[in-house]
Amino acid sequence: MKSLFHTFPRTPLLVALLVVLPAITARAQDPRIQLTHLDHLATRASETVDLNFDERLILAAAKIFNDKDEDEAQIKKLITGLKGVYVKSFEFENDGQYTAADVEAIRAQLRGPGWTRLVNVTSKKEGTVEVYLLMNGDQIGGLAVLAAEDRELTVVNIVGPVDLERLAKLEGQFGVPDLGIEAPKTKKNDDK
Amino acid sequence: MNEEYLWDKSGEPDPEIQHLEDILGGLRYQPIPLELPSDVQPDRRNRYVPLLAIAATLLIALLAGVVWLRLQSHAPEQKLEAKSDQPSVPSSSPNPEIVVPEGQENVVQQSTQPRRRELVASNVRHRSKSNVVSNKEALLAKEQLMSALRIASEKLNLAQRKAQGPTPNQIRNQHKIG
Repeated sequence: MKSLFHTFPRTPLLVALLVVLPAITARAQDPRIQLTHLDHLATRASETVDLNFDERLILAAAKIFNDKDEDEAQIKKLITGLKGVYVKSFEFENDGQYTAADVEAIRAQLRGPGWTRLVNVTSKKEGTVEVYLLMNGDQIGGLAVLAAEDRELTVVNIVGPVDLERLAKLEGQFGVPDLGIEAPKTKKNDDK
Repeated sequence: MNEEYLWDKSGEPDPEIQHLEDILGGLRYQPIPLELPSDVQPDRRNRYVPLLAIAATLLIALLAGVVWLRLQSHAPEQKLEAKSDQPSVPSSSPNPEIVVPEGQENVVQQSTQPRRRELVASNVRHRSKSNVVSNKEALLAKEQLMSALRIASEKLNLAQRKAQGPTPNQIRNQHKIG
C-alpha cells in the first residue's frame, strides 16, 4: 500500500473521486423533478391537482389492487417497480396566470444529463406539450410530461421503469372516457 | 591480459585494471548509515496521506452503510403490515385489568400473568387499529394513484395525438363547416 501511494502520489485523490463521482452522477441523473416552485400557482388556480407518491405509498397501494381483475392487474404491473409518481396540474379561469419562467424552471431540469425530449408540440392556440424520457441504458428510468396551455399547466413526473404503452392504454379505463383516437399502427394500416 | 581476473578476480591481475580499481575504489559502497544534516528534517506528511485516505474511504463506506440500513428499515414495517391484515387473536380471552391492593405480595405474584396477557391483548388491539388506518390509507393512495396515472396517460396521449397532427375526422368536419 505504501509503495502504491508513493509510486502514485495522487492515488488518494483518485480513490476519493471514485467514491464521490458515482454519487454526483446519480444526482445529476435524478429522475425526480422539483416542482415545489409551482406551489404559488395554487392560489391563482380555479382547480389544483397535486399528487405525490413515493415508493412506499406505491407499494401500499399496489397491495390493494385485485389481481383477478384484469384492469387492476394491468395497472399493478404498470406501477410495479416505480419509485415515484408526481403530478401537479393547475386550471385557471383566465389566461396568463403562470409565467414563462415557471415553465422554464421545469425545462431547465429536463435539460440535465440523461433526459431526452421525445415529443415537443407547440401550438399558438393549444399551447405546448412536451414528453421527456430519462434513459438508464436500454431501460426507461423516468418520464416527464409538460403540458402548458393558456389556462392549464400540468406536469407529470414518473420515476422508475415505466411502460409507456401500458400507460397510454390506461386512458379509457375505470370510467375515464376514451377519446377514440386510433392507435398509430391501425392508422398506418388504414392509410395503406 | 588475463580475462579471468575480470570475471572472478582469479589469475594474474592486469596493471591497468588494478589502476582503475584503485581510482574507482573510493566510490565503492560503504555500509555506513546516511547522516542527514541537523537542519534538514524529513517530510513526514506523506506518511499520513495514505492513512487519511484509508480512513476517509472507511468513513464513507460506513456512512453509506448507515444510510442503506436506514432505507432498509422501512421494508420490514411494510411486511409486517401486509402480514397483519387479519390480526391473530390470542386463544385465551384477555382478562380485565386487575387492581392490586398494596402490601399483598401473593396477589401481586398471581396477577403478573394476567397483567401480561392484558398488555398483549391491548397491543394486538392497537395493532389492528393501526392496520385499519393503514388499509384506509392504502385505499386512498390507490384511488389517488389511479388519478395520477389517468392524468399521466391523458397527457401522454394528448402529446401523441398532437404529434400525429389532426385526425381525419377533424379534417372532414372542417370541410363540412367551411
